[in-house]
Amino acid sequence: MSQKRNLFFLSFPTTFALLVMFAAPMLYILIHTLREDGLTYFVKFLTDSFYLNILKTTVSIALRTTGILLLLGYPTAYFLARTKSKLKNTMMIIILFPFLVSAVVRSYGWMVILGNKGLLNQFLLALGLIDTPLKIMYTSNAVIIGLVHLLLPYMILSITGVIQGIDKNLEYAAASLGCNPLRAFFKVLLPLSIPGIISGCTLVFTLSMTAYVTPRLLGGANFRMMSTMVFQEVNVNFNWGLASAISYILMFVILLFLVIFNFATAGINQRVGGQKNA
Amino acid sequence: MREDRVSLFPKIITILVLIFLMAPLLVIVLASFSPTVLVVFPPKGFSLEWYANIFDSSTNFVSGFGNSMKVALIATAIDIVLGVTAALAVSRYKFRGKNMLIAFFTSPMYVPSIAFAFVLLRIFSMIGGIPAFLRILLGHTVIIIPYIIRNTIAVLAGYNWLLEDAAASLTASPYQTFMKVTLPLIKPGILAGALLSFLYSFDEAVLGSLLSSPKFITLPIRIMNYMEFSFDPTLAAISTLLILMSLTSIVLMERLIGLDMFLK
Repeated sequence: MSQKRNLFFLSFPTTFALLVMFAAPMLYILIHTLREDGLTYFVKFLTDSFYLNILKTTVSIALRTTGILLLLGYPTAYFLARTKSKLKNTMMIIILFPFLVSAVVRSYGWMVILGNKGLLNQFLLALGLIDTPLKIMYTSNAVIIGLVHLLLPYMILSITGVIQGIDKNLEYAAASLGCNPLRAFFKVLLPLSIPGIISGCTLVFTLSMTAYVTPRLLGGANFRMMSTMVFQEVNVNFNWGLASAISYILMFVILLFLVIFNFATAGINQRVGGQKNA
Repeated sequence: MREDRVSLFPKIITILVLIFLMAPLLVIVLASFSPTVLVVFPPKGFSLEWYANIFDSSTNFVSGFGNSMKVALIATAIDIVLGVTAALAVSRYKFRGKNMLIAFFTSPMYVPSIAFAFVLLRIFSMIGGIPAFLRILLGHTVIIIPYIIRNTIAVLAGYNWLLEDAAASLTASPYQTFMKVTLPLIKPGILAGALLSFLYSFDEAVLGSLLSSPKFITLPIRIMNYMEFSFDPTLAAISTLLILMSLTSIVLMERLIGLDMFLK
């Protein structure tokens, strides 16, 4: 009896707060949008190639960022998980430290480096490697560089935790059975670390889809992603109906990808499980 | 021998990654002492004028700092209470629908901030008359709850609940048990999580962009607004101070509970 009462008193305040301040507003505005404009703006978004291209850019940037993050994050995570170096704690601090620095500050750092008169161009011009400054700022490349920097810690941490849980002896066993390192990696380590890869990829994909500060500062006014578009519709075009539609479409697309990732995980788990039995 | 060769590739990538991660931060610190408006390397001297500029009232960085501090402190304080009670509920008891409740508690994490910010903007414009401070505070209170809850659940996963039974058998009341046994043991973990949430709120720029008013603007928005008009190293100076704040926080977290908390 008293357990039920305790459970109620402990969980009620947060449940109530989230219902009133989060769930109800999200639902109310969706209904309000549909009531006021029906599906007008949803249809407008989904039939106009201008808007569809923004969605395409957003997904493409998020996929490319996720891919680069995996390529950089996995080896780093492996090294961190396996190293016995005394510097491990220092390395952890270097990886975690940017994680705690504002996205505004980090984007600013990249602006100083990547700008037309930025440090990178000064350096390359001084070396005589280029004659005219490279145009990196305000392109999708700048946005991807910024996002990779923003999200690397998430990817590294997701995978490090999982690799640390994999017995190092399995790698030795594979080697002693005549696997070369590459084959041992693909047959033993990679399949076992898939949970970390999936959770890391899901996390960084979602975060790059919804990033706002980085595309705004590094992409500039003419670079449009879904999140910056919401802001533009609100503050520049004053089209709240369209802003609503973009917000909910973004949520829906992310949900869709999460479902796909989930199915993919289930499929991969089955295959890995099957191999183990074979 | 063989082992060393295998780990060479990950080692090289790790070193490159560490350099990549530190580069923009080092550049900012360097730029903040630049004597020229355009940051050049190697620097042509040394100047502290940009630091003085932060405190120039026209930049409004000081008031922005105060505003962000106020929002982040209050939101974190509220969420420690909400988050810890909620985490206790789902960690201490077994009940049907537990996973659904956890999913509900952490659901704000899966909603894009920009969508939530926009929804709040519309709700507040319908209600009217709510000052920007409260609008941003409410938004931040919602978006950092999941982080405190998840962190506390992780902390409680390592807690031995038999200690509570032991305290009870020694005639401690449930309240006494929590205050004298449970809380002291989970406090470092909770503080580390709170620090993380504080920084998240302090640095948050999406809700801040849509919900602030000319009278109440948080620091990240002040910095972004400043960028649109001038791109001088005052930005580097204020950024350096924020970087120092983060560095202090991470050292604190390391002391409190170690950095393995991030590997879950």
